[in-house]
Amino acid sequence: MSTGGPAADVVLRRVTKSFGSVVAVNDLTLDIPRGMFLSLLGPSGCGKTTTLRLIAGFEQPSEGDVFIRGQRVNFVPAYRRDFSMVFQNFALFPHMTVAKNVAFGLRMRRVPHAERETRVREALALVHLTGFEQRYPKQLSGGQQQRVALARAIVVRPAVLLLDEPLGSLDKKLREEMQVELRQLQRAIGITTVFVTHDQEEALTLSDRVAIMNGGQIEQMGTPRELYERPATDFVANFLGVSNIFEGRVIGRQDGEARVAIGPIQVSVDWEPGLEAGGPVRVAVRPEKIRLGAPDEPGGLPARLRHVVYLGATTHFYLEGPEGRSLVVHVQNVSPDTALWTLGDNVSCHLEPRSVFVLRKG
Amino acid sequence: MERLLRFIRTRWAWALVLPPLLFFLAFFVGPLLYLFFVSLHDVSQAEMYGTRFTVENYVRIVGDPFYLFIIRRTLTAGLAVSGLSLLIGYPVALSMVRMSPSRRSLLLMALLFPLMVSNVIRAYGWIAILGRRGVINNVLGDVGLLQAPLPLMYSLETVVVGLLTILLPYMIICLVNALLTVDRNLEEAAQALGAGPGRTFLHVTLPLSTPGIASGLLLVFLLTLSAYVTVQLLGGAQSKMLVSLVYDSVMTFVWPRAAALAFVLLAISLAVTTMMLKGIRPQRVQGKG
Repeated sequence: MSTGGPAADVVLRRVTKSFGSVVAVNDLTLDIPRGMFLSLLGPSGCGKTTTLRLIAGFEQPSEGDVFIRGQRVNFVPAYRRDFSMVFQNFALFPHMTVAKNVAFGLRMRRVPHAERETRVREALALVHLTGFEQRYPKQLSGGQQQRVALARAIVVRPAVLLLDEPLGSLDKKLREEMQVELRQLQRAIGITTVFVTHDQEEALTLSDRVAIMNGGQIEQMGTPRELYERPATDFVANFLGVSNIFEGRVIGRQDGEARVAIGPIQVSVDWEPGLEAGGPVRVAVRPEKIRLGAPDEPGGLPARLRHVVYLGATTHFYLEGPEGRSLVVHVQNVSPDTALWTLGDNVSCHLEPRSVFVLRKG
Repeated sequence: MERLLRFIRTRWAWALVLPPLLFFLAFFVGPLLYLFFVSLHDVSQAEMYGTRFTVENYVRIVGDPFYLFIIRRTLTAGLAVSGLSLLIGYPVALSMVRMSPSRRSLLLMALLFPLMVSNVIRAYGWIAILGRRGVINNVLGDVGLLQAPLPLMYSLETVVVGLLTILLPYMIICLVNALLTVDRNLEEAAQALGAGPGRTFLHVTLPLSTPGIASGLLLVFLLTLSAYVTVQLLGGAQSKMLVSLVYDSVMTFVWPRAAALAFVLLAISLAVTTMMLKGIRPQRVQGKG
C-alpha cells in the first residue's frame, strides 16, 4: 500500500489551487496524523472549503501534491479516493430510504449483500437511528438527516472523514448536541477527520488541532488552548475571541523572557526570535485576563469607562486607555458586588502575569 | 375582524377562480359530455345523430380490423416519437445543464426558434427534401445512383421523423428543467461514496430526473396522438392515424362515429399516461416510494 510517501493519513505538500486569477489555496503544507480531529477554521473565502475539496478530489491542485495514506492522489478522481464526506446540506439521496442511503457506499464497493445489511444496521445503531431504515429523508428532522449523513459516511470505513460545515444548518441546541455526539463517535471509531467550519467555538470544542486559515494559507495551527492562549498573529488573536493589542518596547531579556514596557507599566512575555532590546513589539492580552482596580492602585494602566454591558455571568467593560486607545475587559461576576463601576469612572487595568503574548506581523 | 378578513380573502380567491372555472365548464366539460352523448347514438342522414341509443359505434371500432390497425399505428407513432425524442434529447439536456447559464439560455432560445415556423411550412420543407422530385432523389438521380426515385414519402417513418423534429424541443426543455433541479451536491456525494460517473448517473441523476422524463414523454406522446397537419402532409392517404379518421368522419357528417373515435383516442391517452406514470414513478423524487 505504501509507496514511500509520508506517514500521516492526509498530507498536503506545498499545494496551490487557483481559479483563473484567484488563488484559493496558496502554497499550503499540512500533515494530519491517523485518528486526529483537525478543524480548518477561517472566514468565508479563506480557502478552507477548497482545501477540503482538494483532499476529496473534487478539485485538483494547480501545484503541489496531495497524499492519502501515503499514496499520491493528484488526479485520482474522487470516487477512487479512500474518503467519505458529510456535506453542509447533508446531500442525502431523496429517492432512497435511510437504509439505501447508508448502504449506497457499500453497494458501490461491491460489499456482499449479507455483510452490507449487518454494517448498515451497525452504523444506524451508532447514530441512534435504529428503526428508521424504511423512512425517506424528507420524513426526518434536520438532526436525524444529519445522523443519516454521518452513518452513510462512516459505514464505508474510509481512511479520512471530511466534514464540510455539517452542523451549520442545525439550530443552536441541536448543534451543541450533535457536536458532542460527533466527537464521541469520532473517538470511538478513531477515524482521521477534517472538519471545515467558520464557527470558532465549534472548532475549539471539537478538535485535537485547529488550523486557522486566512488568504489561502494556514496562519497558525495548534491545539485549541495554544491558539487561544498564544495566538501568533493579529488575525488569529482577533479571529479567535477578542484581544487588546498594545504597541510596546522591549527593555531587556532574562531567563527566556522579555521585559516589555507598555506606557507606564512593564510586563513579561515569552522571548520570541526576532525581538531585540530597545526595539518595538506588538503584544496582546485577552479581555478576561485584565483585572480592573482603583485608579490609584499601582502597576496598572490608567483608563476611563466608556461603556458597560452586563451579561449576567460576566460584565463587559469598554474603556479608553492611554493615547485614546480602546480596551475591552471581561469581568466574571463572582459575587453580587463584583465590578460595580459605572460610566465615566477612572480605573486602572492590571494585566495578569503570563497572559500577555507577542504578535508577529500578520 | 380576523374572521372577516379571512372571509373576504376566501371570497376573493373564489372571485379569481370562478371566471376560468365557468369558462372551462361551459366550453370544455359541457361539450365533452355532449360529445359522449352523441357517440352513444346511431347515425342519421338528416340530423347530427339519430334517435336510437346504442353502443354500436364503439363495438364497430373495436371489432373492425381496419380501425384496430389504425389504432396500433397511432400508438406505434406515439411511442416511437416520444421514445426517440427521449433518447436524442437526454444527452442534449444533460450537456445543456452543465453549461454556463448564459450559454444555456442562448441554446434554449435556439431550441424555441423552429417553433416559430408553422407546421404546414415545415411539412412542405420535408416534402421538398424527401419527395419524388425532392432534393435527395434529385441529387442521387443526377449522380446516377438511382434508376427510379426512392419512395421516401408517405410512410409511418416519415411521419415519425417529421413529428420528431417538431416535438424534440418540448422534450429537451422538460428534461433541462428537471435536471436543473438535481442538486449537484448529490452527484458529488455519490462520487464520495465510490460511484464513478456511470453509476452516479444511473443511481442518482437519472432517477432524480424522472419528473422531467415523465412530463416530456407524456407531452410528446399526447402531441403526437393529436397531430394532424404533419401526419396528413407527410403520411398521405397510406399513413392515416386516429385523428385523420376523426377528421374524415366529420367531413362525411358521420358525427356519432367521429365522437366515438374521439373517445377511443381519449381512452388511449389516459391509459398510456397512467402506465407511463406507473412505470417511471416520478413521485419517488419526493421521497414517497
